[in-house]
Amino acid sequence: MPPPQPAPKKAAQPLPDYKTIAAQFAAAKRAKEQAENAADAPQKKKPAPSRQDRKQEREQEQEQKEKRTLAEAAAPDHHPRRRRARLDAARKRAYLARWAWTAGFWVWLLCVHAAGIAYFTSGFLLTRLVLEEKSACGAPPTALADAGAGAGAQRAGSGSASLLGSGVGAGARVAGKAAAAAGGVVDLLPPWEGKGTVDGGCWHPRTFERAVVVVIDALRYDFTVPVGDGEPFHDAFPFMWETAVREPARAFLRPFIADPPTSTLQRLKGLTTGTLPTFVDVGSSFSGTAIDEDNLLMQLRDAGKRIVHLGDDTWEALFPEYFEGNLSRAYDSFNVWDLHTVDNGVIEHIFPLMGRKDEWDLLIGHCLGVDHAGHRYGPNHPEMTKKLRQMDAFIRDLAATIDDKTVLVVMGDHGMDGKGDHGGESDDEVEAALWMYSPKGIFGRTEPEHVTPPATAKTRPVNQIDLVPTLALLLGIPIPFNNLGRPIEEAFAGPAGNSWANLAAAERVTAAGIKRYQASYYAARGIEQSSGPGSPSELWVKAEGLVGKGKKQDWRAIFSAFAAYQAETLHRCKGLWARFDLKNMGLGMAIMALGLITLLVYVSKGDDDDVIDDEELDLAEQSLELQGIEADAESIPVDTLDKRLVRAAVIGALPGLIGGVVSSSVSGAGDWYRGAGIAALTSIAAVLASMYEAQETLLKLLPRTMWGWMAVIFTVSQSVGFASNSYTIWEDSILLFFITTFGVVSALSALRLPSRTDRYLAIYHSVVFVLLGRVASFSKLCREEQMPYCVSTYYASATSSTSAPWQLAIPFLVSLVLPSVLKAYLQPTRSYEGLAPTWIGYVFRTGLFMSALYWLLDAADNGNWIPGLPDKTLKTISVVTAQIVLGLAFVAGTTAFIWAPPCVSVITSASRSTPSKAQVAILGYANAHGARYLLLPLNLFAACMLLSKPMGAGALALMAWQVLSLLEILDHLGLPTSPIGPVMLAVLGTFHFFTTGHQAVLSTIQWDAAFIPLFAVRYPYSPLLVGLNTFAGPVLAAAAAPLLALWKAGPRRKGLLDAISRALGAFVAYFAAESLATMAWAGHLRRHLMLYRVFGPRFMTAAVVLLVVDVVGLVVALAGVRCNTVAVGDVFGWAE
Amino acid sequence: MSSTIAKGAVAQAQATSSTTATAASPATAALQPVQTKQTPLAQGARHAFPAALAGLFMARFSALVADPVSTMATTLPLTAALQVGYAVLCLPAAGSQGAKAARKPKQRPGENPKKRAGVDGTGPNAIATAILALLLSLLVTPFLHAALVLFGAPFLTHGAHTLLCAAHLAVLALLPLFYVHGVDAPAWAAVGGFAAPLDETSGGLAGAVAGAWLGAVPIPLDWDREWQKWPVTILCGLYGGYVLGRVLGGTLVWGKRF
Repeated sequence: MPPPQPAPKKAAQPLPDYKTIAAQFAAAKRAKEQAENAADAPQKKKPAPSRQDRKQEREQEQEQKEKRTLAEAAAPDHHPRRRRARLDAARKRAYLARWAWTAGFWVWLLCVHAAGIAYFTSGFLLTRLVLEEKSACGAPPTALADAGAGAGAQRAGSGSASLLGSGVGAGARVAGKAAAAAGGVVDLLPPWEGKGTVDGGCWHPRTFERAVVVVIDALRYDFTVPVGDGEPFHDAFPFMWETAVREPARAFLRPFIADPPTSTLQRLKGLTTGTLPTFVDVGSSFSGTAIDEDNLLMQLRDAGKRIVHLGDDTWEALFPEYFEGNLSRAYDSFNVWDLHTVDNGVIEHIFPLMGRKDEWDLLIGHCLGVDHAGHRYGPNHPEMTKKLRQMDAFIRDLAATIDDKTVLVVMGDHGMDGKGDHGGESDDEVEAALWMYSPKGIFGRTEPEHVTPPATAKTRPVNQIDLVPTLALLLGIPIPFNNLGRPIEEAFAGPAGNSWANLAAAERVTAAGIKRYQASYYAARGIEQSSGPGSPSELWVKAEGLVGKGKKQDWRAIFSAFAAYQAETLHRCKGLWARFDLKNMGLGMAIMALGLITLLVYVSKGDDDDVIDDEELDLAEQSLELQGIEADAESIPVDTLDKRLVRAAVIGALPGLIGGVVSSSVSGAGDWYRGAGIAALTSIAAVLASMYEAQETLLKLLPRTMWGWMAVIFTVSQSVGFASNSYTIWEDSILLFFITTFGVVSALSALRLPSRTDRYLAIYHSVVFVLLGRVASFSKLCREEQMPYCVSTYYASATSSTSAPWQLAIPFLVSLVLPSVLKAYLQPTRSYEGLAPTWIGYVFRTGLFMSALYWLLDAADNGNWIPGLPDKTLKTISVVTAQIVLGLAFVAGTTAFIWAPPCVSVITSASRSTPSKAQVAILGYANAHGARYLLLPLNLFAACMLLSKPMGAGALALMAWQVLSLLEILDHLGLPTSPIGPVMLAVLGTFHFFTTGHQAVLSTIQWDAAFIPLFAVRYPYSPLLVGLNTFAGPVLAAAAAPLLALWKAGPRRKGLLDAISRALGAFVAYFAAESLATMAWAGHLRRHLMLYRVFGPRFMTAAVVLLVVDVVGLVVALAGVRCNTVAVGDVFGWAE
Repeated sequence: MSSTIAKGAVAQAQATSSTTATAASPATAALQPVQTKQTPLAQGARHAFPAALAGLFMARFSALVADPVSTMATTLPLTAALQVGYAVLCLPAAGSQGAKAARKPKQRPGENPKKRAGVDGTGPNAIATAILALLLSLLVTPFLHAALVLFGAPFLTHGAHTLLCAAHLAVLALLPLFYVHGVDAPAWAAVGGFAAPLDETSGGLAGAVAGAWLGAVPIPLDWDREWQKWPVTILCGLYGGYVLGRVLGGTLVWGKRF
């Protein structure tokens, strides 16, 4: 085989030439073989040392140089030489074949994990597409109700000329017949003045010019009605009920049912857009909290209306730049202990504004006192009574200032449970109150008994989304495009309660809007709407059929028909967006669980005999092979467990795939993934069965040592902990606890080591490991739930996302220190040879320095430190710098890694005992595999460090150091095959996910990482960059996983591939277990009030991390191992 | 062919390593479990003291929850007194025949001969040994404080809390060991490396450490209970674990090894 070319990058300093090394070594080997062939007794300088002796010697530095005394170059014998070459070639072929089967197994595992996660997610993660269409004043949905049914999405704002003509023109009322031609426009109401304009009423005659909306956070319905049981939270807020009973035309009070999750942010979204919240609203701006859907405030703003906001600052986050800056006042919403600041602020500022009605059109006041009293004390507390009485007086005073042109809306955005908390979907949490008031006296009841507000929230409730069309129609603006609610009866029934025409018209225009939205949504999702009996489409046709039958219309029937359409559509949408598919979730969990069992069996399958490093044995074997006892090169077995497993997996998948596809096509469900799911199950079953054939038993899974138990306890206790929101929230501290525990136990058990050097080194590395972990733990970004017990240090302050000036020094420090640390870890085995000094000492250091420079330039750009520079200069320079770093890490780094010789060098010197003979010493022999492989994770590290913020760069450097000390600990304690190594590496990876400024919540994704080496979003690079930023810890850990088997492995070590695959297996098993646990808990606690905040995001994080780790393990780790083994094997000969 | 050789070699290697593990150091292997004094007074006291410790802790619990620092500070002397009394009454002092058992530890290179001579010199003077042990325990306290911080205890705040907690750990778990072993490095290496046989002293240490470790478990829970504050749960686990470990170590599992 031709020796690979030396790395192109290594010209910086004179290196021991790779070819020379190979040639020298080959010559030395030939000489040795010759010598052994000639004499029966091998001429070894050293007597065969026992393992223990050698172990002790290793600490003495001489041991690191694997010495072989060789006879002075004897004339090479051609026969054994050819034989050796043939044997090596055959072994290389066999190795590559085995590698391919191993990689096949990992591909299969990736597929299994992907199938399990996809299956579970399809049942669990409810998503809704956010449509960008906006309703337009001049384009009422009734105009295209019929035409739109077939045409699908009609983009608002692109209304055709005929639509505008029919809607706006004065006296343009189109008769039924003509309208049918123009698209089926039948107006239920006679034209009104200003129709089609905001001032007259876009889609319905306008009733009010202004609105005052007061949100009393957590105002539960029973707080507002007389109950008379003497509870502190009852009968303290009677004003609204009294007015509704006393002046039914001026006020009404109804239960107001929230859609879960009952958190204020989600509720405000629902209350302004009229849609149902889902777990993920897939829209254009995934990152920000600002609402980009059509909503009431957007419609008002676009119509040129002025909006003023007082109170809870959540509004500012949702509607940035919407409010009149000089009149609005926002207050911090998270200070639960403060009951009064927000309320007093609202009350103080709202009354002056009531005297300046010409300066605003919508006035929003959001009081938090009741909610905070609930959180702090619970409802059953005198403070709650006080708070409710204060609100009673406030609303009483406010109502007195309302004029005829203004409507006052008072509502709770959600209720509260018995403890005063909310977020979930229990009755107490969803039952809020709604009260509308206007002295104009336009409210009516269609039945006399409706005058008295319902005694409980179970009777005659309205949905919170119903407020959206109601307010829109009352204020004359278009109903937001995505609305699913219906107009509230009382607001349109007229004082006498008999304005059925008005009601029917309002109901119809709303229903038409819903229909338009549905058509749009289904078209965007590419799904067909069903049209069977009882479907919304059928109800719609029925309702439209009632319209336009002669002069005398049955308004009431029309009203009911459209209401039925709305109710059915809402019901369907709730099913679509708010129902979990337990069957799919269960199947996903089953796939994941079986996959985990398979992985565990795979990990525990091997004999530890595989990994041996005995050069005496090796020499003996070589001579035997050359004597022809086992020289038949073709007989080297390729048949490995991996091969059997992959075959079983493929064969097992086939019947499942066929069965799944057939059953889904027979049942007509047509979901493509059913086949995949069943195939995954049968495939896993086949693999498990084939491993059972191979004498694997589940009993072998039980750990047999303290270390094994420790690995199991760490993994299992964390998995169990995910059942509790507290342990999920405080995961970073728990991981630190585990890291320290491991370090302390390893330091203590090092006390048992017989050799003093071993003992001290093991203790030293344990202490380093623990200390670095604790130092890294100071870098953190707290999640909201950790407050107030947590201090964020990742950025300059809690409210910024830029680095403090002192933090900019961290990457520079890293570039100074880290390469030296790496050198210090390579020196003891004399492995700082070959490419290592150039690459680590110069190229890697330069990369780190440049990424430090990048962050300095970035800060200079952000802070405008150098005034007078042309725009974009610094940005351009920094982007170029970043691109160079990434090029260095990925392009140059990969090239160098592929072509690098092993990190060894050969010294020839006179033998001390017999000066006539030359002695060849190979520096770095003992760590030939590990030292060379280390270059690969380092390249990835350089890239991750650039993409992390300066604080994260420091954390990642500490992680790299910790990984090295972990390897040393494992080596000194003699734990190369124990599962504790992979599990600790996985714990480290997860821990540094947190120290790099992340939490298991969507809001901590650092989207700006996409722009570090780019000016604009570019696919597929931007998601990859954000991914590397987010999962730098797990990615680096996965890339470093092969080191667990490779570190301190000499070139003749056998069974390395199996050992690596098993180490990687244990490593991935940790993530698979976490993923399965979070999946199971999220599924089990799907009705928990913390689902959307804690359990769901943690499951998503775990699932993505698992897939990332799988992919990195395959693409980086296993591929890197292949390169590495080929490079080492070509130089030193093939060990197996 | 080659595999046979490999298997044989491995078996050999394993055999060597297993002997190495058990015969880690000759001194360790010879470490005998500590036997309490056989006098009736000592036998009564060894059961009375753990009960007294548990009682003390329970009596001070509500005060501890209300004001951890001052309660820990005022309880520390009492705990120390109980431990000193227990050591003097029940345990063989370092250097006495009981503590040395049948072994004569050989001089180790890293050991300070003067120190050992000092401890040995006190001979069976129980009171002096006990006071020395108390001083040594308090001397070790800052290191335990550092260890607690490494486990995640607050670094910049709650200094007094953590230090007092560490002091309680030292006085409970380490004082008897100092009393029995002095500063005998091989003995301490054996105790630290889980190689010492279980008895009242090492059992107490194992129980205290395990209890304190488990004591961290309830801290993150969002139950908003007063007793969740730092370091009440740790102290709880510490006392509970110590008493349990000491009682078990002195009775059921006495003489057993890990």
